[in-house]
Amino acid sequence: MELTDADLIARVLADDDQHAFGELVRRHQSSVRGLLRQLTRTDLALADDLAQEAFLRAYKNIRSFRGEARFSTWLYRIAYNCFREDARRRKELVGVDEEQWQAEQDPRSIDPGLRHDLMHALSLLPLNERTAVVLCCQNGLSHDEAARVLDIPLGTVKTNVLRGREKLKRTLAAWAPN
Amino acid sequence: MINDETLGRQLRETVPYIDDDGFTARVMASLPAARRESRWLRAVILLGLALIGSGVAYLIGAGHVVREGIIELANFPIWLLLVFAFGCGLVVGAFAVIFAIRKTPEVRDLTRLEF
Repeated sequence: MELTDADLIARVLADDDQHAFGELVRRHQSSVRGLLRQLTRTDLALADDLAQEAFLRAYKNIRSFRGEARFSTWLYRIAYNCFREDARRRKELVGVDEEQWQAEQDPRSIDPGLRHDLMHALSLLPLNERTAVVLCCQNGLSHDEAARVLDIPLGTVKTNVLRGREKLKRTLAAWAPN
Repeated sequence: MINDETLGRQLRETVPYIDDDGFTARVMASLPAARRESRWLRAVILLGLALIGSGVAYLIGAGHVVREGIIELANFPIWLLLVFAFGCGLVVGAFAVIFAIRKTPEVRDLTRLEF
């Protein structure tokens, strides 16, 4: 029988079992790296560095995980904090860079294929809307869980998701359902 | 214009699975060394310290207290000793249950107990 996340965490806590932690990393690496790739706008190397830092922090602070939320939610929060600290260091969170980056993007350069266009459209969203949409619509977190991950009010999450989705729909206007 | 349902489905479906590709190994290599002392070693250390402490206490003159205590205990009625042993078992058992619940998130969630 496959061990649950809670079983693996219990092993890490009781015996400092690094194999158990390795299994947790294997299970969650894709979603954590995927989230960070979206946040860093597909800068794969940076996203993986941040993901590695996030898992390292998770290991060091696993005793503070109380099981009140899903382990993945807790991981997303750590990953998001890593991204935010790194962005602050790089001064990427200031609006000027966001606007400048968006101005450099030419929507006409979108390649064919809805999925590809969707990924591109996602990357065009402002950081707060992109993060909310990725967490709630792609990774299946509830609005409440996303609010905890991002440490912002529930209403703000809902607004960001709504605005993000509306912008995606406008950007993808050419793709009418068949 | 693309509708809500299509957008939602596409968003869920565009989550790519990222192959591990050595990522887990890199994370594991960056972890600090695990604590090496095992449970049995900790138990041996605790037991050893308890024995040494008892020996020292006996040698510095507390021995007669132990002797007198055992003699008095031997004079107790058997039913009282049984009640005493049962009580001790209950107290130790209760502590063990509380400790187990505190260490087990699933049980804690199940019982909705707050510690």
